[in-house]
Amino acid sequence: MPSKRVIDWAVYAAFVIIIMTAPLVMEPFWLNRVAKYLVYGMLGIAVALSWGYAGILNLGQGLFFGAGAYMLAMSLKLASTTSLQQGSDRPVPDFMLWNAEPGSPTELCCINKASFLWLPFQSQWFGVAMGLILPVAIATILGMIVFRKRISGVFVSIITLAVVLLVRLVVIDSQPVTNGFNGLTDLGWFKVGGLEFDPFVVETYYLVAVSLSLVLVGARLLIFTRAGLILQAVRDDQNRARYLGFNVPAYQTFFFAVSAAIAGFAGMLYVVVSEFASPTFMDLTFSITMVVWAAVGGRSSILGACIGAIIINVLSATVSETEGFAEAWKAIIGLIFVLVVLYLPRGIAGLAHDFVDRIVTRRSAPSSHPLRVSDPSSQLAE
Amino acid sequence: MGRTALTLDGLSVDFEGFRAVNQVTMTIDDGELRVLLGANGAGKTTLMDLISGKTKSTSGRVFLHDTDITNWEEHKIARAGVGRKFQIPSIFKELTVRRNLEVASCRNPGVFANLRFGFSAEAERNVDEVLELIGLTEQANQVAAYLSHGQTQWLELGLLITQNPKIILLDEPTAGMTQAETHKTSLIVNNLKGRHTIVVVEHDMAFVREIAERITVLHLGQVIAEGNVEQIETDPKVREAYLGSKGIS
Repeated sequence: MPSKRVIDWAVYAAFVIIIMTAPLVMEPFWLNRVAKYLVYGMLGIAVALSWGYAGILNLGQGLFFGAGAYMLAMSLKLASTTSLQQGSDRPVPDFMLWNAEPGSPTELCCINKASFLWLPFQSQWFGVAMGLILPVAIATILGMIVFRKRISGVFVSIITLAVVLLVRLVVIDSQPVTNGFNGLTDLGWFKVGGLEFDPFVVETYYLVAVSLSLVLVGARLLIFTRAGLILQAVRDDQNRARYLGFNVPAYQTFFFAVSAAIAGFAGMLYVVVSEFASPTFMDLTFSITMVVWAAVGGRSSILGACIGAIIINVLSATVSETEGFAEAWKAIIGLIFVLVVLYLPRGIAGLAHDFVDRIVTRRSAPSSHPLRVSDPSSQLAE
Repeated sequence: MGRTALTLDGLSVDFEGFRAVNQVTMTIDDGELRVLLGANGAGKTTLMDLISGKTKSTSGRVFLHDTDITNWEEHKIARAGVGRKFQIPSIFKELTVRRNLEVASCRNPGVFANLRFGFSAEAERNVDEVLELIGLTEQANQVAAYLSHGQTQWLELGLLITQNPKIILLDEPTAGMTQAETHKTSLIVNNLKGRHTIVVVEHDMAFVREIAERITVLHLGQVIAEGNVEQIETDPKVREAYLGSKGIS
């Protein structure tokens, strides 16, 4: 009899095989799009980890996504040909030149007051490192404050929501360093050794697909550890966990930071695939959309949330481009969401789990069934 | 009698002028089972809150053996060896019964120390034994949310047994139980006698008679009597506190 765990891993393996072989059957036009959806799938994983497993509904996941995106985008901006024009051999982002005050030196160090922040980003790997470090640092500080103070439930959601909006405002307001509303565009390509990741080639798709597979399996393994189990215990009853001797805020902060790292990683991949970073990443609607993906896919399933994100995006792309639905597609997506919340509170993954349960218990029914029946009476007899 | 497991020394807490616990001094020996008795508002649960760190005391000290644990953080007190069962049963309801106990069996509290898979064979054996003791072996793979009220209480007791603290604080372990369930609970608690030092808050006198050795009676935040069951039942001060000075006429 295959145990549930074996079936689980088989489903994961099937998912990985599907995304790995997809380019063989996919039109090149879809390659770049699907790569984006896979990035969204990674965001689904981040949301499931913090919402489903840690019980922290983060309505500001876009903050970590945006932080990761901007960090790599700064490096890629400096690597872009637009930063090397104007006759200089040292890169200066074009928007800084356009907005420079007359007479200011056209050097990255001092073209405006804060431009020196860009200096280390001349190294692409500095940008990559910061794309993980910054989200983790923000999450750790935020988590230490919020969870130490034993803030929980909806209040955490409100705080994260406020923080993402605040950062979005700051980014928009810091036009000289961030290019404000316009975001960072005209980026160079991400390079590893001699390999250039043109967003429209199959290598870029595989960069995303392999990253997603690794994150997927990594997150799954993480929740299989004892720490993952204790985290779920904390989610169910913080107080009980505390009186068993666990340092509850440490667990919450750790997994909040892991979720932030995944979102930051997704942000970087998104920049590679879409060649821009913009303050819209930190829009409220985007963060809430991620939560919807996870809810539809199943927030207490890492893979479910990931698939939820991919399915909804493929669906909305298809529906919105189908004639006749062009106007109504948002209503259709909204309807799907409402139906799922009403009838499938554990999402698509919950449905799949019930199905697997039924198969597994039917096969082992002869041994377990009689025990269950005698259950209540044996207790009373004692 | 062995050495002292728990010492309360002039423990008091003030809630904005209201002294819920007032100058409570008592010692509980190693392996002893002590029952705390008292009318509503006598300060029994508050006393447990003070010992386990949920409420910070305004004066007085708490010693666990020779360690001063007064006003430590809850999880540190728990790690020092104080386990607590709550009045409202609290368990990890989305995990299976076995998983609940596995959580309690983690000896190292740190996040990074627990980034590993599985539990030692010894821990698993221990979990099996506890399942047997609390009578939930058949429910081991059931999600805890589907347990009956009595089973939930036993599971929480099981969590404490697995945690294996020196001192177990039980806040009304038989609240809301049927007679049969109450009896089973007394069997579990009696089984723990000697291995752990146990402090029980309880109203149910039938249950108290089944388990009690020594009883401490609290009234308005103060200790008014201490002794065995007969002594307490005949103590005039206890009668006065429970029934009023004129008694029932």
